Amino acid sequence: MAGKKVDLSVDFCVIKFENPFLLSSSPVSNSAEMVAKAFEAGWSGVAYKTLNSDRVRIVHPSPRMNPYHYGSKRLVGLQNVEQISDRSLKDNLLDFLYLKKNYPDKIIISSIMGFSNEEWAYLAKASEDNGADMLELNFSCPHMTIEGSGHKVGQANHLIEKFTETVKKAVSIPVLAKMTPNITDMTEPALFAKQGGADAIAAINTVRGISQIGLDDWTARPKVAGIGAISGTSGPAVKPIGLRFIADLAKCEQLGLPLSGQGGIETWIDALEYLLLGSTTVQVTTGIIHYGYRIVEEMIEGLSDYMVERDIERVADLIGKALPTLQDTDKFDLESQGVASYDLDRCVGCGQCLIVCNDSAGQALEWDSQLRRPRLIEDKCLSCMVCSFVCPVSGLISYKPQPSDWQRRETAVMGEQLEAELKLAAFK
Amino acid sequence: MFVNTSENFTGMTQGFGLDQAVAEAERCLLCHDAPCSKACPADTDPGTFIRKLRLKNVTGAIRTIKENNILGGACGVLCPAARLCEKECCATGIGRPVEIAKIQRFLVEHSWERNFKVFEPAAPNGKSVAVVGSGPAGLSCAAELAKQGCQVTIFEARPEAGGVIRYGVPSYRYDVNFLDHELREIKELGVEIRCNAPIRGAGEAENLLQKGYAAVFVATGLWDAARLNPEVSNVDGLMTSVEYLASLRDEQFEILRNKLKGSTVAVIGGGSVAIDCAESAAKLGAEDVYLVYRRSFVQMPAEEVERIEALAAGVHFLLLNQPVDFVINHHRKIMGLRLVRTRLDAAVGSGRRMPKEIPGSEWVLNADIVIEAIGNQAESGSQNWYPNVAVDRNRLIQADAETRQTSVAGIFAGGDIVRGPALVVDAVNDGKVAAKAILEQLSQQEA
Repeated sequence: MAGKKVDLSVDFCVIKFENPFLLSSSPVSNSAEMVAKAFEAGWSGVAYKTLNSDRVRIVHPSPRMNPYHYGSKRLVGLQNVEQISDRSLKDNLLDFLYLKKNYPDKIIISSIMGFSNEEWAYLAKASEDNGADMLELNFSCPHMTIEGSGHKVGQANHLIEKFTETVKKAVSIPVLAKMTPNITDMTEPALFAKQGGADAIAAINTVRGISQIGLDDWTARPKVAGIGAISGTSGPAVKPIGLRFIADLAKCEQLGLPLSGQGGIETWIDALEYLLLGSTTVQVTTGIIHYGYRIVEEMIEGLSDYMVERDIERVADLIGKALPTLQDTDKFDLESQGVASYDLDRCVGCGQCLIVCNDSAGQALEWDSQLRRPRLIEDKCLSCMVCSFVCPVSGLISYKPQPSDWQRRETAVMGEQLEAELKLAAFK
Repeated sequence: MFVNTSENFTGMTQGFGLDQAVAEAERCLLCHDAPCSKACPADTDPGTFIRKLRLKNVTGAIRTIKENNILGGACGVLCPAARLCEKECCATGIGRPVEIAKIQRFLVEHSWERNFKVFEPAAPNGKSVAVVGSGPAGLSCAAELAKQGCQVTIFEARPEAGGVIRYGVPSYRYDVNFLDHELREIKELGVEIRCNAPIRGAGEAENLLQKGYAAVFVATGLWDAARLNPEVSNVDGLMTSVEYLASLRDEQFEILRNKLKGSTVAVIGGGSVAIDCAESAAKLGAEDVYLVYRRSFVQMPAEEVERIEALAAGVHFLLLNQPVDFVINHHRKIMGLRLVRTRLDAAVGSGRRMPKEIPGSEWVLNADIVIEAIGNQAESGSQNWYPNVAVDRNRLIQADAETRQTSVAGIFAGGDIVRGPALVVDAVNDGKVAAKAILEQLSQQEA
């Protein structure tokens, strides 16, 4: 494998990115000093922390984040009540000029948020005039409480269309619309963004949630001077939600726009999953908050080696490759049935399989208490595979398809003797 | 936390904190029919308390330990867990066993830190029980009885309670601060501990039954040291492990420390007690400490981890050497040990390989201090304290395996005075078993 070079570059809205890995608009992209470090580490571009027009003074609540831990596992999720950039527009634009001058091949996506048509246009133009390669319209910040801003826009389709249209008229650079996941169907607002002229869709922003309640003060975290709030959840915990929305957008033929995926990406595998579901670029914040900018080294190397191993030359050849087999559940072939299969030579005898099969599945395991080994009664196995999820030995339990004439045993009925007491008429 | 770290010698090594304990508990496979729980002689039930910790039921985890083992802290610190609960750990199959003993110690220390009390004093049941000896067996039995409402009085001959876990182990292994926390919890159950109260008169232990105690539990332990040559006495610098270890805990400590500083010490023996003597002497500043043992490293009865710790502490292991005599000068001061080299015979059956002296290989190891640590035995004359109780030829009390009942009705016995040298956790179990039998007997008497 050594020596073989892979090209990780992607074309996104006719702009070339050296790899698909970008910083998302957040604390990790707050200043040129920070972004320069990220570029040095290998990130190909940045969605810069959302600009404002200095009309309202931005103050971040204190404290503004809270971790969601799982046992001793840190930061499986992150809660935040962070606002858009609290720096002046001038300072941020000077930082754009600095970054473009020093890193001409890196891509600056200016994230903006306005409260009126004029303000959207003003911020868009100021960004373009000072070196921004693209715009990202923040229709999705979950902490804005004023109607007509942040995710409130993302939930009001006519405003999405109107503001996008305004921006498109003001500038000639490509425009991404960044969407909120706090709705049931994202394709609908995305289509309004397209109607307004958006060139691409970015998703997802944070998911409104609550990560923790203090048990002493009965207050949600982060607690800001005695008050908690429902606010944005991010990190690995929300990845399934992010992948789902990206897949929805990618499968929407009417939309047909390139996508910038985000939500819970920490590793090349997370990033690749987003690519396979149709993202062209991916954006990261919580992974950086957890581990720092250096994680991009692992993303670049991991994705490169994966592509070399599979003889895939361009990232473009991966984009959307998981979409054809992604269907509604009614497309499943229910004739195809299987069972769990146990490689007991590697079993360590913990018996967690037995517990979960008894308490959450088909009661399909017997237990040899002397040998401390399970024995599968195949025709009782539901093939739910939960045993394999708790088994501490990876790959010990695998799925085995059964022949088409194979029959699963019916679930035991405990009340057969009580038929006389049954009160039931056939449904007509 | 609850360890005295002010001085290298007295301080126990720091135990787990909450983060470490939780992370370690996450390695647990939460086994069905947990093998670790079946491997604890005192049924402390690690499978359950680790699951409780894992599911954030920290108070429940503490409750599980303390309800099953009132000396859960001592066992967490002193148990050779590697050959008990941890030996059965299924996580070994994917790496290494969960450090159960350290989790247990953490939970006990944590209960003190957050002042979480498991027990409420029980309603009195009107029964009084006497316990002779405040070592692990006596404490365990007393606690179990008190939990059921018995008025328990422990008679302890020494100035302070704890028996072997106070006077028989160095403080870096098990700290008195730690012990005092455990003792306080036992006293809070209503147990009365009378120190400086020996029951050593003729028939005195049996007479307790006539003094209003409904039952007596004898757990006096083994406090006579076996001797290489019992004829030799009053020699300056020659002491037994019992004398030496007790001095580490009493007013003799500073005198002993001064004596050890810069000296050459020879410890005879290969068990855990010998290791404790040798390692502590090294830690107290002896220039050279020789552990003299007639077999080889792997035959030593001491736990492997203890042997390795002693090596790391600088103890010289003088293996395959049989002490044959002391070298004593005309001032009756010890000068050294006369040794003869040995080789190991082939093992017979499943037995240990026996050492065979090599003729003509005799030599003298010079030493300023010689500590004999070749085993503890029942005190001579101890059978007179309970003349009607059947004992064997080693003066060990014969007690029923199921009930710890002796040959005298109402008198029960447990711990080392029944088993010979054994583990703290075995003694704890004896106390539990005897308490259960005593309670059954008391309730039958009532019926």
